[in-house]
Amino acid sequence: MKSHTDAQRVNAFVDRELDLTSQLEIEERMRQDVGLREQVEDICQLRKAILESAEYHAAPAALRNRMAGLMAPKPTARKQLGDKVVAMPRWLGWRPTVASFGLMAVLVMAVNLAWLRPSHDDRLLDDVVASHVRSTLGQHLVDVASSDHHTVKPWLSSKLDFSPPVNELQIPDSVFLGGRVDYLGGRPVAALVYRQGAHVVNSFVWPSTGNDSKPDFSTERGFRTAHWSQGGMNHWVISDVNVEEFQAVVRAIQLADRDH
Amino acid sequence: MSDDENRRRFELLVMPHLDAAYNLARWLTHNDHDAQDVVQDALVRAMHYMGGFRGDNARAWVLQIVRHACYSWLKENRPAERLFLDDADEPAHDIAAPASDEPHSAAMRKADRLQINQAIAALPAAYREVLVLRELEDLSYNDIARIADIPVGTVMSRLARARGLMREALTPIARPVLRTVARSTQAGRTT
Repeated sequence: MKSHTDAQRVNAFVDRELDLTSQLEIEERMRQDVGLREQVEDICQLRKAILESAEYHAAPAALRNRMAGLMAPKPTARKQLGDKVVAMPRWLGWRPTVASFGLMAVLVMAVNLAWLRPSHDDRLLDDVVASHVRSTLGQHLVDVASSDHHTVKPWLSSKLDFSPPVNELQIPDSVFLGGRVDYLGGRPVAALVYRQGAHVVNSFVWPSTGNDSKPDFSTERGFRTAHWSQGGMNHWVISDVNVEEFQAVVRAIQLADRDH
Repeated sequence: MSDDENRRRFELLVMPHLDAAYNLARWLTHNDHDAQDVVQDALVRAMHYMGGFRGDNARAWVLQIVRHACYSWLKENRPAERLFLDDADEPAHDIAAPASDEPHSAAMRKADRLQINQAIAALPAAYREVLVLRELEDLSYNDIARIADIPVGTVMSRLARARGLMREALTPIARPVLRTVARSTQAGRTT
């Protein structure tokens, strides 16, 4: 039987609340340890059962009305609103109200977007970093090892529901190592792997629905990342090369795709 | 801050979390009527505090106030309910990892809605709130720690314990079962 801290760690693992090293450590142990795999499976099943069956009590309309009542404008203002025979100047008084409802809707949406966006991107970023680290630990760098994109592209297309752009990079010290299928944000993506000098570069690609965008660079736990959309594809690139080389890699990928 | 300004901020910051607020209160008070009252009281209080809210996580902030109101209500109206756990209550051992022959996950699949809802409702409040916030609101350990006013380590131990209790409640009482044939492997990422 596992010590209690261990059971807690397994729970935290399922919740993705462990730091990256511990997260990967458990993943590694799961390969050997059937008991651990069962524990994880157990927790996942329980979570699934709860999610499917537990009652989510949304606020009843009565409560919503009560809250709206508390927030309603002063009674005098309400009388004006209820008045059907409204003189023109009074009618003008409506407009700010109507406008403020519209503004409110827009603001609520904007705030929601602002709050949702980062968390989605953050999660994706976590996935990207975890996937990169996993691949560089030497466990599983490529599924298909070839420096020839004519070999890699058809292989990836056969495993995915899209055909990713696959190119060698026209910059010094760049070696194309091959590709693999990986999972990011819950969907299968193409991972193209390059060696830049002594460093591994992972370039993830999957279809996008948005417009083209310029690369957005950031640094996460010592890794450089960039993501952008181009030609109907999302790109996430990650490596631990220095900043100049990283920018050169990103540019080379963009150029290769464009010329492709 | 003017009344209008206050009202506007309230609609922007607090109202989007009305469902989450009610869901937590409903699970903690066990009934609709009191949950509505508690939420209303809590949110009126939130409106007063609003000027002081500068943070960026309105949901955690709202739920913290609602949770506090729930506990006050419980203390007054349900004195019999065990609200706080002594450290001694924190398990020295977690509910055992699978010990029986039947895989727990199989039992879990058979558990029906009613059983699951009853099992959650039967959890001590301190475990129930952590479970509800994690599974139904999908909150991070950090947010839960803030809402329940406990350290993150305690969130971790209570959640593990809550799931252990759920598993125990949902596992049918030991009975002879035919040994199940090894399940097909489900582990591993598809690569």
